[in-house]
Amino acid sequence: MSFRITDIIESEAPETRDLSIERWCAGKPAAELLGACAELESYRRQQANLYRRVRALFFLAAIHRYHLPTRPEFRRTGRVPYDGFSRMLERRFEEAISGFLRAQAAQGANETLSSALAAAYHQLGFQTLADQVRHTVRATRGNAWMFRLGHPLDQPLRIRPELLRVGNSNGPHPILCECTPVRMDLTHCGWSDIFFLGMDFPEGARVLNVSIDLSVHGRDSGPRPPVEAYFRVIDEPVIRLASVDLEAIAEVRDLDDVFDFGRDYLGLLKASIIAAGLVPPGIERSGAKLAELLAITCGPGRGFELVSSVNRIPKGSRLAVSTTLLGALIGACMRATGQIRSLSGPMEEPERRMVAARAILGEWLGGSGGGWQDSGGLWPGIKLIEGVAAQPGDVEHGFSRGCLLPRHTLLGTDRVPEAARTRLQESLVLVHGGMAQNVGPILEMVTEKYLLRGEVEWTARHQAMANLERILGQLAAGEVRTLGHSLTANFFGPLQTIIPWVSNLYTERLIERTRTAFGDDFWGFWMLGGMSGGGMGFIFAPKRRREGQKRLQDIMAAAKRELETALPFAMDPVVYDFAINEHGSVGKLLAGADALLPAGFYQQSVPRCLRQEARNLTPRERGDLQQFTQAARGKPEYGAVLPTLLDRMLPSAVATQDAGRLNALLDENGFDRVQHEQIRADLRNGRIGLAMNRLAPSTKIDDVPAEALFNPGSASTAFRQRGEAALQAGEVAVVTYSAGVGSRWTQGAGVVKGLHPFAKFGGRHRSFIEVHLAKTRKAEHTAGMEIPHVFTTSYLTHAPIEHFLREAVGAALGRTVWVSPGRSIGLRLVPTVRDLHFAWQETAQQKLDEQKEKMRESVRAALTAWARQAGEGGDYMDNLPGQCLHPVGHWFEIPNLLKNGVLARLLAARPQLRTLLVHNIDTLGATVDSTMLGWFCASGATFGWEVMAKRVEDHGGGLARIDGRIRLVEGLALPREEDEFTLTYYNTNSCWVDIDRLLTQFGLRRTDLADAGKTAAAVRLLAARMPTYVTLKEVKRRWGHGQEDVYPVSQFEKLWGDMTTLIECDNVFAAVPRARGQQLKDQAQLDVWQRDGSAAYIESLGKWT
Amino acid sequence: MLIDQKGESKSALQIILEEAAGAGVEEFGIVVCPGDESTYASASGALRDRVRFVAQHNPRGYGHAVLCGREFIGGESFLHLVGDHLHVAHGAISCARQLISVAESEDTPVSAVQPTHEGLLTAYGTIGGRLVGGERPLYQIETVIEKPTPTVAEQQLLVPGLRAGYYLCFFGMHVLPPEIFELLDDQSKATGRSLGLSPALHALATRRRYLAFNVAGRRYDIGATYGLLFAQLALTLAGSDRDRILTQLVELLAIH
Repeated sequence: MSFRITDIIESEAPETRDLSIERWCAGKPAAELLGACAELESYRRQQANLYRRVRALFFLAAIHRYHLPTRPEFRRTGRVPYDGFSRMLERRFEEAISGFLRAQAAQGANETLSSALAAAYHQLGFQTLADQVRHTVRATRGNAWMFRLGHPLDQPLRIRPELLRVGNSNGPHPILCECTPVRMDLTHCGWSDIFFLGMDFPEGARVLNVSIDLSVHGRDSGPRPPVEAYFRVIDEPVIRLASVDLEAIAEVRDLDDVFDFGRDYLGLLKASIIAAGLVPPGIERSGAKLAELLAITCGPGRGFELVSSVNRIPKGSRLAVSTTLLGALIGACMRATGQIRSLSGPMEEPERRMVAARAILGEWLGGSGGGWQDSGGLWPGIKLIEGVAAQPGDVEHGFSRGCLLPRHTLLGTDRVPEAARTRLQESLVLVHGGMAQNVGPILEMVTEKYLLRGEVEWTARHQAMANLERILGQLAAGEVRTLGHSLTANFFGPLQTIIPWVSNLYTERLIERTRTAFGDDFWGFWMLGGMSGGGMGFIFAPKRRREGQKRLQDIMAAAKRELETALPFAMDPVVYDFAINEHGSVGKLLAGADALLPAGFYQQSVPRCLRQEARNLTPRERGDLQQFTQAARGKPEYGAVLPTLLDRMLPSAVATQDAGRLNALLDENGFDRVQHEQIRADLRNGRIGLAMNRLAPSTKIDDVPAEALFNPGSASTAFRQRGEAALQAGEVAVVTYSAGVGSRWTQGAGVVKGLHPFAKFGGRHRSFIEVHLAKTRKAEHTAGMEIPHVFTTSYLTHAPIEHFLREAVGAALGRTVWVSPGRSIGLRLVPTVRDLHFAWQETAQQKLDEQKEKMRESVRAALTAWARQAGEGGDYMDNLPGQCLHPVGHWFEIPNLLKNGVLARLLAARPQLRTLLVHNIDTLGATVDSTMLGWFCASGATFGWEVMAKRVEDHGGGLARIDGRIRLVEGLALPREEDEFTLTYYNTNSCWVDIDRLLTQFGLRRTDLADAGKTAAAVRLLAARMPTYVTLKEVKRRWGHGQEDVYPVSQFEKLWGDMTTLIECDNVFAAVPRARGQQLKDQAQLDVWQRDGSAAYIESLGKWT
Repeated sequence: MLIDQKGESKSALQIILEEAAGAGVEEFGIVVCPGDESTYASASGALRDRVRFVAQHNPRGYGHAVLCGREFIGGESFLHLVGDHLHVAHGAISCARQLISVAESEDTPVSAVQPTHEGLLTAYGTIGGRLVGGERPLYQIETVIEKPTPTVAEQQLLVPGLRAGYYLCFFGMHVLPPEIFELLDDQSKATGRSLGLSPALHALATRRRYLAFNVAGRRYDIGATYGLLFAQLALTLAGSDRDRILTQLVELLAIH
């Protein structure tokens, strides 16, 4: 390319402006790329235009992340300055970048620093975009006044008189009810409803969006607007909030509590009150009293109550339930204060737009975020939602090409005839597959790919845009069959091209089985929302739709049973009934006997009232009881609540059953109660804890020079030949740690990480275990000799892994493939407040943006209160039994091989076995490489450890010279946070083990392995010499309809790398390439892993069947 | 009763009438509830002979009250004031005189307005428009909305040049053409409900040039909480007893 990199950003010509960064970088040497980085850095600092600045930032991130590291002449190792890293955690990205650039000037450019620069540019890009959206939300006309209001006397909103009690002063206040349909999108045109995309590429931002009523098939009586918000005035100067679905009620008496979103489950309701202006955002921390503000809006001594209901629609439905609820709540509050003219009926167009703008504001306040089509349920029927170019006078003009809010064009029966609507409803089956996943990372990936204009993705985006036109035409013509084909093609075509991770094994299994069951009568699959697995659509020939509903329920249930240990399911799958809603959001004023809140509200509130003495009831409670009693006599849905009231007042037996199961599990897995009590006592007394994990501050910590390490890249062929000989002689086995449940991988969902089918290899989704087996298969093929492969398991993973392997390898299980069951188990403890504070305050933490940070602070306060209330150091038992136990660290994995007899059986079957390659489940590049094996065999050491050059994302310690001795050190053992940043190499946790020397280390010989008592005693003896670390882990507690909470719990562990601390043990170390040593810890890494060539490398290592 | 700027005790009505008379108004029509004529007559002071009372038999809103004055006005332009507002000019020229001068020089209907904080919007009719230039603070009215919420005001009633959070709200003083009665009459027929003045003023703005004038003075709503107190203070501090009252106020402040 002859033009400069900034020309791509500045050019008006599409062929230049839309050129991919890959194309521009292709063939350029590192020096030229570094020159481009300098040019971009200077350009972005001077550029006033937001999107040019952001594009330059993403270009910089891409060059540092994807292009410089692939240049052979680029230096691999360097050091990230700790100051820069801490600035990055504090979200002071500009300062971090300056620090990294200074280090680059001093050290010379290198891969380590480039990783830090890439991360900082990437985050600064997103921060800049988010800041702009927030600025626009605040500046949007109709929103800005709320940010100026700082005193109750300035509050201009007043509750409408119609909502105050009339006539009989003892009667109920009227209730305002807002009923809102949810939205489904026929095509989001490649996630073009992301705000950033709509504001930069309005012409490409188009969505076909349908408002629908919904019900759960077989549970509810029929489709209705699923989202309801209720508003009523109460005669108490407080705000009462209730969520029927989350079974949460709160009374807010203090102004600051309104802004405390993490305190309870009612953050969404609080955000709606703020976004509607009832408690304007400008009044936060003003010191004003809530009662004063309520006296102005509602009248002296009065307050209001806000109640939400989504009729038990589960979380993760991909139908924008939470944004719709926010819109409904805001709508009710705005009607109540005259900001929407009518108290009943639909809203007018400007009013819908204002509610949609306020919903965006509410999402920002609540720290969540959706697309701009998510308020689509406010509008009726079928509509085309499109980005709008910013014009002079718009607040966006001059900053971005498009406006924040899109244009809604209602497609009436002239565009989509009645018959076509009917046909769609006669063919479509909507379901919730049961998976509830975080779609946030997907949206970030989409944004980045759009800004970088990746060639394949950019072409796919244009395909998706063309598909929308086609789908619109097919819908208008009522050609539902071809519509189904187009939607399927959209899912398997452009959507998966842009983001492969929108699909998963579960979804594809459902599609495949439905196609098998229905043949040509299955017309197509439709991904709802940001990714599949949750809300999805299946299109059938009308004559078989009803059958489709039933069969899909069975197909989903069966597939879930098969995969529930491998994929994060939050609930059982459900099938919906639905109908197109032609009204949009509608208000109703309920008065007199009809002034009723939803039946589920009384289900929660009435037992509370009944537990009190009648004389202690407030007039409101008395009135609610009267209203409910009257309704229960005449309205079946209220009468149906009566039998459950007694259930709620009596204690449940479920908790007792769970405790029994937990105790049984502990006994089955050899739980050591004496050791557990000792750990508890030590934890409570402060003898162990997060702070005590660290080495003494006087410890001398130095980096290890490259000369001290083996470099396989420059090794002689002798090593390779020796390794090949060992392989051919059958001297090697592989051990893969598979005891973990991927706390980070699925945020504590408790699935077996090894079985997670995370990516496609050889044309289909494969799990980590399948990948490792494929590599071993290839190595066996090359060596012409079987290589035993052992998967170590724990109580959490043993049964699913054994079941999987039995299916996958059949008779080879126990011959070439082995399972080594865990023999150690721990019971999680409620953390101490001291450890919580240490984790949150003493260790470096990623600072979040302003609203999310507030949310996190609030959640932390709640967790601290929970730890105190539950009892610090107490047994953690308030969860499913499996979530209360913990594996005790990978140090025990190899000793378990000794204790459980697997090593003895292996050696009996293959006496020639001499070496083990031991590695983590997520180290996909670990192979029995002949050069590495030859090097280790030649070294004569007990252990050969693989390390790799650190990048900024590699945390958790590394290779160091500690008080003069080279060893591996855990990050949590380093005396100071910054010590880790002085180390060049990171521990991959891949380790070569000489079996006989290992046994010697334990004081054993091969023949001793038959003696269980001697082996156990030897293990106990060595374990006592290993350090014990206390860690905090996050566990999910699931409840309700797909809801989840995350709790930090304490557990202890011993780690295998600490074997390097044993003075009598010989260790050697090798610096391996990143592709061999890197680990996949977080699903958000997958996209980068695929783009930087790592996925292709892993594909090349395996023999895929 | 209030003490006016000269230190004389007068009814609010008398102060309003005297301001209008001082601006050149010769005859006054006061719209009252049937039966209240004598009460208002006695409160009219020295101008009682120039006052004619018009009874509003059905209380159908502010616009309807204005419409009741149609016969009294005939085919002339007229100055319209509200009975619960007192006006205190910043200088020697009364607010009413300032407004009439603008109406005469521009030969167009004019409403007096005052920049008002958004926290008070729900008490006033509010205009949206643009500054029409010149040295005087004159605005072309494009929109009139009665008691808007700040949400609506921010979307439809922003006037360039004002401080953030301020809108041009009515001052309780208008010079209107007889055409307003036609508009009120039309709207009265179209709606059976309460008839406001603001919708008719909005319709007027769509029909012809209609200006707003930011008067050099302030309005005091004597119907609001503490409104009478503030009106009295404003009158006194602008009059001959200023020093005496200031001294008393300072003493009060020192004690409390």
